[in-house]
Amino acid sequence: MSAQLQTDPRRSAGIGPATGDRPAPRIERLRIRALTKQFGELAALSAFDLDVRGGEFISLLGPSGCGKTTALNCLAGLLEPDAGQIELDGEDIVRTAPERRRFGMVFQNYALFPHLTVERNIAFGLRMQRVPNARIGERVTPALDMVRLREQRDKYPAQLSGGQQQRIAIARAIVTEPRLMLMDEPLSNLDAKLRIEMRTEIRRLHQSLGLTTIYVTHDQEEALSLSDRVVLMEHGVVRQVGTPREVYLEPSSAYTANFLGARNLLPVQIAALSGDRVEVATTTGITLTGRPRGAFSADEAAIAAIRPEHIVLHPAGQDGINTLPGAVQEVEFMGQGTQLSVQSALPEEIIVRTDQDAWSVGDRLTLQFPPDRLFVFPDEGEG
Amino acid sequence: MARSAGTIAPPVEALPAVAGRRRRVNWPVVALLAPALILVLLLFIYPLADGIRLSLHTKSGNPFANYGDFFRDARQRDTIWNTLRLALPATLINLAVAIPLAYRMRRVVHFRRLLTGLFVIPMSLGTVLIAQGMLTFFGPAGWFNKTLIALHLVGEPQRLVHNRTGVMISLIISEFPVTFLILLAFASGIDPNLERAAQMLGANTWQRFWRIVFPLMIPGIATAFALSFVATFAVFPSAVMLGQPAGETRVIAIAAWQAAYEQFDYASASAIAIIMAAIEVLVLALVLGARSRFYRGPASGGKG
Repeated sequence: MSAQLQTDPRRSAGIGPATGDRPAPRIERLRIRALTKQFGELAALSAFDLDVRGGEFISLLGPSGCGKTTALNCLAGLLEPDAGQIELDGEDIVRTAPERRRFGMVFQNYALFPHLTVERNIAFGLRMQRVPNARIGERVTPALDMVRLREQRDKYPAQLSGGQQQRIAIARAIVTEPRLMLMDEPLSNLDAKLRIEMRTEIRRLHQSLGLTTIYVTHDQEEALSLSDRVVLMEHGVVRQVGTPREVYLEPSSAYTANFLGARNLLPVQIAALSGDRVEVATTTGITLTGRPRGAFSADEAAIAAIRPEHIVLHPAGQDGINTLPGAVQEVEFMGQGTQLSVQSALPEEIIVRTDQDAWSVGDRLTLQFPPDRLFVFPDEGEG
Repeated sequence: MARSAGTIAPPVEALPAVAGRRRRVNWPVVALLAPALILVLLLFIYPLADGIRLSLHTKSGNPFANYGDFFRDARQRDTIWNTLRLALPATLINLAVAIPLAYRMRRVVHFRRLLTGLFVIPMSLGTVLIAQGMLTFFGPAGWFNKTLIALHLVGEPQRLVHNRTGVMISLIISEFPVTFLILLAFASGIDPNLERAAQMLGANTWQRFWRIVFPLMIPGIATAFALSFVATFAVFPSAVMLGQPAGETRVIAIAAWQAAYEQFDYASASAIAIIMAAIEVLVLALVLGARSRFYRGPASGGKG
């Protein structure tokens, strides 16, 4: 099997400089059906379905405990699912041992072998594949070059910085030319600046290698910037699957919208429906117009959601659609813009993000919720 | 002017200590260290120094006569070999059993307390109690032989006590707990993600053990070996009770005891004790020297 791996020209072309287009992926498609995993009473993963095309970069996004890591570990084979299928190009691999799946995995805490040098860490997978020693060197060097750490090859992991260690962990996984790359929150142990650099690095590697990648994260920015598609999860269930633009601009539920930055959620009641507009009434009797996201009937309970950066601020006393007067309660300078908490006739304080830096506590102003930006979702009984 | 001169000239206290200047004694630190230092001095350094002094005390005038006598007399010299033939196999057998067991139990949470408790019981039994129990249990009419005969595994009772085997069994029983607990601590300290990473890279159970876990356990193995070896090399009561104290289990401690309390020759008894200590130090130096050639850092794969 390893001989086949080395002679397949498409595979050996996998490692090399970026040539613009993504190289052909090693798999055609991954099909996951009804994957279920229970931990005692807790349904960590319920009927998880996902179709991945070869070469795609998929993020599993959600808060801790949403089942994203469980899904990844089931894919890796490190956890045995209670039910469900995982098909890789038509072959069911649910019962295949992890060491025979030929997947690469990058861990949150890097998991480099502390007693082996960088070079031997990277060579580990090749040795397990019984690649001849002469060939191992030929493959380790380009892998080191890919992550720009050739000078560190004789060092031990403890002598490297966190960012370097994670790059070694990535090199160790890609050098074996895995069929599928699994990444479990690989950047969450790094500081903010390094995290952004590594994000670019991962994006670059994915572009040049065309590795089919499943990436677990709780960081929406990471998921949006890296992925071809984002899988948003909650309580072991997939809530929405879509391109970063789709999930960000067209959230399918209040949960999705809230997780992706729509911090203002208002409990409302449907007052009137007309085509692509819906009129809702807040508990304090304010009527607002928004975009319906779901089917409604009159008097039904619903949730209105809007992102802080989509709220428009006007001087006090201005009139218009969806406007209401308010008073600034808190001002937080964020560097890039300012965040305000505004008290108004709405039941809760509204968070507003603005470029204007002129506001101070106590200022009176007019809030406007552009109807296109105000989503109205069915009330699922949870925030 | 005076003010500016004052700022240019560094204060006397800031000058680096000049040779010959008395170093200040940090009395609080000395006071805190004193109890431990006095204990070490009284209980270790003084007896050792006195033992060496005693061992050099001879009638002939040649200070090393007692050492020379020991090595010239085959019966005495052989005690080293007799002791090593007990201590080394017992220590190695314990390691061979404890390493895989600790590896298996490193992630077992259920029953862990019970099993650990069971393994540790021998620790609370003294060597004499173990020896007494073994005499009956492993004796010709003991349960062990009865069971073997009942199962038709052997035709006649096996001789398991009053020989080297008996002493070896007792050493294994009494030294196993420490060996196991040390190794369990080391095995549990290995980041489980390291094995997962190795598995994802294609390593099977055996390869994961040999290439990842075992190398990371080496410091623990060396420590366990050192402690077990020192304890077994000093074997005395079980060698007398369960072995042949005049024959194949005449260990070095017996030789020292006979010199001191049968011949009342404290000088040569001291010489034997010093030889015993020297051999232990030599073996420890070899083991710890070997350990330093292996990886000794933390057994985790990065940030926790």
